[in-house]
Amino acid sequence: MTLAFTYDLGSYVAENWEFLLKGLERTLLVSAIAIVGAFVIGAVLGAARAHHIPVLSQLAGVYVEIFRNTPILVQIFFLYYALPQVGIKLDAATVAWLSVMVWGGAYNTENFRAGFEAVAARFREAASALGFGKLATFLNVTLPIGGRIALPSSINTYIAVLKNTALLYPIAYEELTTSALQINALTLETWETFTVLGVVYLTLVWSLSAAIRLVEGRLALPETR
Amino acid sequence: MRRLLAVAVIATFALAALAGLGMAATSGAGPDASAPTATPKKPKLPPLPREVRQRKRWIFGVKCDAPPFGYINVRGENAGFDVEIAHWFARFAFGKPNRVSFVCTPTPAREPALTTGRVDAVIATFTYTRDRDTRIDFSRAYYQATGRLLVPNDSTIRSAGDLSGKTVVTTSGSIYDRWVRKCFTNTKLVVTDNFTNALLTFNQKRADTLMWDDTVLVGIAAADRNTKLTNDTFLALPYGIGIKQGNVAMKRWIDSRLEVMRKRDLFYTILRNNIPTRFVAGFSRNILRPKVTFGYPPADRPSPETVCP
Repeated sequence: MTLAFTYDLGSYVAENWEFLLKGLERTLLVSAIAIVGAFVIGAVLGAARAHHIPVLSQLAGVYVEIFRNTPILVQIFFLYYALPQVGIKLDAATVAWLSVMVWGGAYNTENFRAGFEAVAARFREAASALGFGKLATFLNVTLPIGGRIALPSSINTYIAVLKNTALLYPIAYEELTTSALQINALTLETWETFTVLGVVYLTLVWSLSAAIRLVEGRLALPETR
Repeated sequence: MRRLLAVAVIATFALAALAGLGMAATSGAGPDASAPTATPKKPKLPPLPREVRQRKRWIFGVKCDAPPFGYINVRGENAGFDVEIAHWFARFAFGKPNRVSFVCTPTPAREPALTTGRVDAVIATFTYTRDRDTRIDFSRAYYQATGRLLVPNDSTIRSAGDLSGKTVVTTSGSIYDRWVRKCFTNTKLVVTDNFTNALLTFNQKRADTLMWDDTVLVGIAAADRNTKLTNDTFLALPYGIGIKQGNVAMKRWIDSRLEVMRKRDLFYTILRNNIPTRFVAGFSRNILRPKVTFGYPPADRPSPETVCP
């Protein structure tokens, strides 16, 4: 007797939608926290790097190098399974948003650094001529212009943050992918599992991308519209 | 004179030899009461499956983090009870124990490894269940395992009945995963993708107890003085060797060699090679032996992981 191939997406969704929905909620929650956090980290440390603020700029550089040059899976394992051995025990939910936020923040730091450095010097000189101090120049000139320049590359980082939540599987944090893989381990309905995952992630990423592009359009500099 | 004597002796021996040959030649003519009784022919064992014979090598899925059944030793080699069974299969098939490659198959990867044809069979603490039997085939049972609870020494958990409000960790897709989900709705369940992460989760006090097979947990409790096993046992289900569904030749070959190993008491040798001496007597009741045989639960009874205590 050979194993017949079966594919029943309707039954799969009907039986598992509640469990998957809870997983989706956790994915959205972790992603939201991580994206906001990555934005803040990127803007602050990117500014420090662009303005060569002593000590902070160098520390930011080390942070960027470490987190951009190591796999995020290694970082997740380290936070969850290695830190407890030195007395720092974080729960799975904290590790979930912290790991993807810190990873996204490293990439965003470079996105914003490049954006701030791309602001034409004449704008900063004009602000200085008008009596703006360094902080006021940054907040009123460099950040608005540089932030808009950094937006396209930041979009890619935020999308990657969302997709990287799927790598939380080894720490048993029941976001969408972990939930789906647990269902698959029990039912072996592999085709249905990965069809649902693919469709949901495609929808999520496309929606996030569209929302950010909408914001990007509204924030575009007058001469670039 | 001496020469004459030597010739006489040689001639005597020659005549005796010729007489013996003559008797042998005439014995084929018909039944001879003086000839020794012919021994019955041994039944022919099933042949090696074609795909293995052509490859000249076995590929087995085994555990790589579940001592004493399947783990990686200090030399970086696969080792353990299940791994030794695989080496015996290589001896039976090719006369050489190393004609075998191993693929690490943690709990949730065992069935996919079979259904996708990545391995010939899975010898990886694979508990038989009727549900799994609908998707893959199992060899005859070769080891009787039961479920146990590993707890800290100061734990208030004495048995599975004390799990309400507690956190249990086990591996994803295991019989314990199914059983706890079905029967312990007031228990928080954490499932990990492999046993190592389950053990880490327990050791780091992210769970109150680790639920898994007795033979693996007893070694951990023996090595870690801060932990113990509760006295109760549950989900007594034998291990079988997982085989791709419909591969009759493979099942016949494996079953026949397991029977050979049982009769030659090889499982006892393997057990002694893999667990501390003080545990051998106790666990020797779990293995196939010349006077010990066991099978799977009868089909007319519900599968244990579907029955709540």
